[in-house]
Amino acid sequence: MSSKDQQTYPLPELSAFTRPFWEGCQNKELKIAVCGQCSHRFMPGVPNCPKCWSADFSLQAVSGRGEVFSFAVYRRTYHPAIPAPYVVALIQLEEGPRLVSNIVECAFEKIHIGMQLEVCFQEEDGFMLPRFRPLETPPVDTN
Amino acid sequence: MTGQAVIGGIGHTAFGRLPERTAFDLEVEAARRTLEDAGLEPQDVDGLITDPGPSQGILDGITPHYLALGHYLGLDPSYTGSDILGGASSAAIVQRAVLAIEAGLCSVCLCVYGDSALSSPGSFGYGRGDDAAFGLFGAVGIHALAARRHMHLWGTREEHLAAVAIAARAHAARTPHAQKRDLLTLDEYLAADSIVEPLKRPDCCLVSDGAAAVLVVAAERAADLRHKPTRILGHGQASSLSTWSSLEHFDELPAARCGPETFARAGISAADVDVAMLYDCFTIVVLMQLEDYGFCGKGEAGAFVTEGRIGPGGELPVNTSGGLLAECYGGGMMHVIEAVRQLRGTAGDRQLDTPEIALVTGHGLGMNTHSTLILAN
Ligand SMILES: [Zn+2]
Repeated sequence: MSSKDQQTYPLPELSAFTRPFWEGCQNKELKIAVCGQCSHRFMPGVPNCPKCWSADFSLQAVSGRGEVFSFAVYRRTYHPAIPAPYVVALIQLEEGPRLVSNIVECAFEKIHIGMQLEVCFQEEDGFMLPRFRPLETPPVDTN
Repeated sequence: MTGQAVIGGIGHTAFGRLPERTAFDLEVEAARRTLEDAGLEPQDVDGLITDPGPSQGILDGITPHYLALGHYLGLDPSYTGSDILGGASSAAIVQRAVLAIEAGLCSVCLCVYGDSALSSPGSFGYGRGDDAAFGLFGAVGIHALAARRHMHLWGTREEHLAAVAIAARAHAARTPHAQKRDLLTLDEYLAADSIVEPLKRPDCCLVSDGAAAVLVVAAERAADLRHKPTRILGHGQASSLSTWSSLEHFDELPAARCGPETFARAGISAADVDVAMLYDCFTIVVLMQLEDYGFCGKGEAGAFVTEGRIGPGGELPVNTSGGLLAECYGGGMMHVIEAVRQLRGTAGDRQLDTPEIALVTGHGLGMNTHSTLILAN
């Protein structure tokens, strides 16, 4: 999992705080944290609710739907395992919290703030990362 | 409060690519020049506060920076430390020196920034924690996200970002020690390579080896100084340490709190500022600060910077030595030094017509930290 080797993909360093979130991703489940004291919803990776400081919170799977809050197109390569161009985005989840991810399966010029997205899990060096693609209109049930 | 503090000395090295030099020997040179400027001796220094630059402070926290530098300078100070607030550090350590002097903890406090960032590859392009898994490298990505928000919310265009870069280069053309002294045209800006859209190469600060220092001195020692002391009318700090990605609208900085609060403590308003040295790691940060400090309304900075308003001869000259965009990456200490030069009247070809009040800002660690100084002659 170390990102020290410049040639290997810079995967997250799992810690006691972040492990439950990333383990969810390995099962293709995107999870947020919900505070048992004040109901605040936040991204996991911290030891307590950042609003009321309670350690009483639980991870809950979310819909995986969200929208583009902002996005940036990397035209320069900073890491050999992540060649430019690629899109880094701030995604506003339907349930409230915001996270950093990538937008994939979409032409750059079509991306805009407010665009509807859904999560998709993609493997890098055997590790599942949650990325986002344009939300497809649900197919009409013809049965 | 037992006394007042003033800035009594300034000094810096050359900036640019200096592969033969280490950050520490650059810092010692800056310290020596600063004492010469002040007319004081090493044995007069009883305070040392340092701002280790990006490649020293963030990547190597093993030996405290003040400990190593204090060892090289042979100092046994009454008060010392290093602050790691990214680009907000330089103004913050001057603030800390003022507080220490006002509390009577020391009377001659050396504040030093230094780095060999250009000769330490990758120090500006480091991964942002676990977000590196999504390719978020360097401060540029976060600022590109902020620029896109500003464009979306307020109609800011790349011509507005360009106006900041063009003004910086016009100022630097009058600054003998600046790294980028050639003028920039709008056409050249528009044709420049994108680094992380919407930011292009001229939107991004330089990377430099070099060091800069200022000496903060108790006012009762002003008679010992070679130059007229620079007064410190006010200082402030504000930070957002909660997750940067959760900032509500992502279109303002902690400066929106720090600026008005510091103006109020100093008893001035934005209209009283004659020259502004705004931390300019990226052009978008200048636009955001012009709004946050109240030089224009929210969302109006794009229009404000057009028609040369912040360039040479403009009604609010910003970064008269070229700033991080064109002078050098001097932490934020070169912003302090340029403010002192303008207030002393020693800024050479770029000297403004008798400015009385200068604003100096610092901004760091993505969108997290902010610091403010208000200086006067
Ligand atoms: Zn809570």
